Parts: sequence; structure tokens; C-alpha cells
Amino acid sequence: MGYTLAEKILARTSGRGHVRAGDEIEARPDFVIAYDFPGYTDVIFRQMRDDFGIQHVDDASRFAIFIDHMVPTATPKEEELHQMTRAWCAEQGVALYERHGIGHQVSAEVGYAVPGGFAVHFDGHVSQLGAFGSLAIGLRRNLLEAFVRPAISIRVPETVRIDLTGSLRPGVMARDVFHHLVRALGPKFAAFRVLELGGPAVAEMSIESRQTICGLAMFTGATTAVMMPDEKTVDWLGERPRLALDPVFSDEDAVYAARHTIDLSALEPVVVLPPTPSNTRDLSEVIGTEVQAGYLGSCASGRIEDLRAAAQVLKGRQVAPGFALHVVPTSRALMAQAAAEGLITTLVEAGAFVSSPSCDYCFGRIATMAEGQRAVSTGTLNVPGRMGHPKSEIFLCNAAAVAAAAIEGRIADPRRYL
Amino acid sequence: MSLPDLRGRAVWVFREDDYDIDRIIGVENIKITDIDALAALVMKDDEPGFPQKVQAGDLLVGADNFGYGHPHYPAMRAMRHLGVTGVIADGFSPGFWRGEISMGFPLIPCPGVSAATDRFDSLEVDWQAGCVRNLTRGWEKPFEPLSVADRAMLEAGGLVPYLKRAVDADRARAGG
Repeated sequence: MGYTLAEKILARTSGRGHVRAGDEIEARPDFVIAYDFPGYTDVIFRQMRDDFGIQHVDDASRFAIFIDHMVPTATPKEEELHQMTRAWCAEQGVALYERHGIGHQVSAEVGYAVPGGFAVHFDGHVSQLGAFGSLAIGLRRNLLEAFVRPAISIRVPETVRIDLTGSLRPGVMARDVFHHLVRALGPKFAAFRVLELGGPAVAEMSIESRQTICGLAMFTGATTAVMMPDEKTVDWLGERPRLALDPVFSDEDAVYAARHTIDLSALEPVVVLPPTPSNTRDLSEVIGTEVQAGYLGSCASGRIEDLRAAAQVLKGRQVAPGFALHVVPTSRALMAQAAAEGLITTLVEAGAFVSSPSCDYCFGRIATMAEGQRAVSTGTLNVPGRMGHPKSEIFLCNAAAVAAAAIEGRIADPRRYL
Repeated sequence: MSLPDLRGRAVWVFREDDYDIDRIIGVENIKITDIDALAALVMKDDEPGFPQKVQAGDLLVGADNFGYGHPHYPAMRAMRHLGVTGVIADGFSPGFWRGEISMGFPLIPCPGVSAATDRFDSLEVDWQAGCVRNLTRGWEKPFEPLSVADRAMLEAGGLVPYLKRAVDADRARAGG
């Protein structure tokens, strides 16, 4: 019987010839990635030194830190955290990316997405590196292990395979595909497993759409998500990868915990209703719901295809009075591209507030909502309090739907504007 | 080294699948760091006076995918402060699982436990036998074995002591 991509990558990084789901191994990550955040990196840096007496990480070239939260800073304390991070990186010889954009996207742009590579982070949205054929796992606080040991302990996860078939209709985007998966299969169908996506619909998808879907994998319970690298992957990556590895593919006869086929042909734009990421409905069910704010951005959905979709909806139109539309491209490179394509001009002329890349809109640090307000958002999560007051509400939807709602001040069907 | 068996009452049974543990203290309170203040808020939306009812050694029982959503730490910090020593659930959400095991807090995945347990039943977790017993109802159910690393983390008392042992072992292997 053959092996899955996850089994093959973990076999290589554990120095074994082969491993099977369920095996308990120690695997050496190719990359250890994190963003600075209070209670995470500051604690890891201190524990490494004080609790373990470790002065330097093992092979600094494997490590990268991103400053993408609290950008720009709003308090002296936030800036002190960044200062400490800069000093630590300089002292360790560890790469630091500041103001390049949201780290999960920038990771791919600067070469940490390597087909066949193994990356770890504390944040689960790093799973979007799976769009490039990497195995990228969010370990939460256990990331400390990767800072104090050369290898981490891990039980090789099972893989659940999803084949996506059919063609998406106009106005239906990668966000809809992911949320539809959760609706169709439940919020835990991939719990503790690797979500492997393939099939003709994935082959047709842009790299950006693949990143969106893989990046949200945690809401299926998955440890991470992966897709097989193809010609599109190779073209996108070009000279970027920091490691020359042979790309890895699941074998035809790989052992899967489950297999599902999902047809996307009939899919409509969907919306995830508050208060949980598992609450997916057709957008048509909530058309007309009043909303006061819109957020287009995040590591999941602020890329060029999202900005193009929003600009197409908003071109020659105006954001409704009193509606706050925040547009935050996922990275600096993407923002520059959007500017070159004229998308930023279109969005600004329509009344959008466009900001440089930052994670802060996604978790309500800025553009905070008051009690009773509602937002349409392409952010990652809609739990109460995520973007402000615990009694504010977040409706997750695709970028075109955010733009349509911005025009009407109510949840609206984007297809009438496309 | 072995884990001490757990014995206590099911001080609460969460019947809902995909239960978001922020609800235990109220999402508006998750930024409170004072442990006494947090503990006073536990289950306030479900049962006033709940904190006074907890006894040392009590256990929580959950349904499937317990801890779904954004598994912040304050809820279980508060529960531990009140004396709760573990959670037995039909299944756990992975983020919650990793976070709490790294705190050295026992989570026991035992399919079927929530339907077969009432509040204040006496429960026992037998690590050696790999089973949960409901002493009030007289049943015994196997639980799903923990990974070697997770079990070692519980035995060590959490992530940091566990890693200290591992790092020492790495150093010994490397010859000093």
C-alpha cells in the first residue's frame, strides 16, 4: 500500500525510510516560523534562555519571525514587544520580516513554501503553505519544542482525502468552497487529520484560491491541509523556495482515513453566520440583513483575486453612507500589484478605507465594532468579540459579497453587480 | 512513571457538540487575568453559584468536538483553580486538545461518555486499564489511547517540564 504526502514528508524529516499514520516519531522541521505576539514569542524567547539555558537556536537559517500583528503599533508596550523581537532576531541571526505583510502569505512569497517541505508555527493558519505541497502545522504552545530541540515529537496523522469536482459559477469563490466543505462534512470531519484536497476543481483553481482553502483548514478540525504541487505551483514558486527538495505526492494507493467527493457545480455564494465558524448557509437566506462594517483582507482572503472581485463590484459605485469598508491587502507585494492594476484607485474612489497589510483588522484591534453592530468579513473567524464588542456580529463571506454589502448597507448578492 | 488515576464527580455535563469553551466564563471576560475573578465567573450564564458547588477532584464531561472555536486558556485555568482535575469527552477539538495537554491538564477522549453520564455521577479514570468507569451507573468504557508524547507531557506536569526532560535526554545522547 502506498503513502500519503504527509507520511512521506514525515518519513524524510524523521530520518526513517517510511512512516505510517499512527507512528510516534520525532521529526525535524525544515522551517520554524512565528509572528511576534504577547504570550507567545516573548515567552518562548525567555523560556529558551531561562528555563532551558539555550543561547542559540539550532541552525538559525531554519527560523523566521514576522512582525505583522500590532502594525502599526498603538501603545508603547506594543512597540517594546517589536523592539525585543528585532533584538532577538539580530542576536540569533534569525530572519525577520517586518511590514512585508501577513506572515502566512509572506512566508510563501519569500520562500518558506517548499513542495515537500515541513514547517511549524504556533498559528494554525500556516496550513496555507499546504497549497504549495508543504506540510505546515500549527502547534500552539508546543512550538516551544521546535525552539529548544532539533526535532519535535509527533504522531503521524491520518489523512482524509477530498476530491473537488465541477466548475464554480460566477460570483462563487474559494471562500464559498471552503465553507461549503464544512457545511457538507461537518466542523470536525478532519479532526486531528491532514486534509488533502485534489481533483479537477483544484487543478482549475488559482494558487490564491488554493491558499485560501488550505489556510482555513483548522475549521474542519484538521491538523493541516495539503494539495499536490503541479505546474501552476512550480510556475508561481519560480526561484523562491529556500530548499531544493524533490516534490512529494501521495501515492495512488495511499491509505486514507476517509475519501469524499464534493461537486461544486451547484454551489451558491455562502455566508457563515455568527457565532461559530460551523454555521454556514446560502447567502440568499440572509439577503437584506443590515450591516455597518465590512472587512476585506486577512491571511485567508486579501489577495489579488479578492481585490479584483471587490473592485469589479464597486467600480463606478459608492459605499453606502455610514458603512465602514476596510480593505487590507494581504501583503505589500499584493498591495503594489493592486495599485499597478488600478484596483486601489477603484476601491478608494468608491469610498473604501484602504490600509497597508496588517493582521489587526481580523481580530478587532483596529476598526473595532461597538455593541449591536454587524460586519461582513473575509476574516478567518466569526466568534463573538473577534472584531470588537462581544455583542457585535460577524458574517463571513466572499470578497465580492463584502463589496456588494458595502454598496447597499445590507447583505447583498454580489452576482447582480458582476 | 504513571499518571495518578482520576476520581471525582461529573460536576457538569456539556451536552452540546462543538462546545466553545469561551462560553464557560463569557467571551467578554476572556481577557481577565486575575484567577479569583475568573473563577467567580465560571458557568455564570448557566447556573448562578456554580463555583461554590465544585469540589476538589471534580471532573467535567463533554460531548463531541469539545473546545471547538477559539480555545482560549482562561476557562480551564478557572476550572482548575476551582478544583477540576480533568475533562472526559466524546471527543475533543484539536486546538483545545493541544493547548490543555500542554498545561498538563488531563483530557480523556471516551466516545459515548456524555450520553451515559448524569451530573454528579461518580467517575473514575483508570490510566493503567485505559478505561473510564461510572461508579454511579456501573458502566466501564475504554478511552482512546493518548499519544506517547501527550501522555509523557501529562506525566511530567505540562509542556515545560516535559521538554526539560527531553532536552536533557538530547544532551545526554549528544554526550554532554
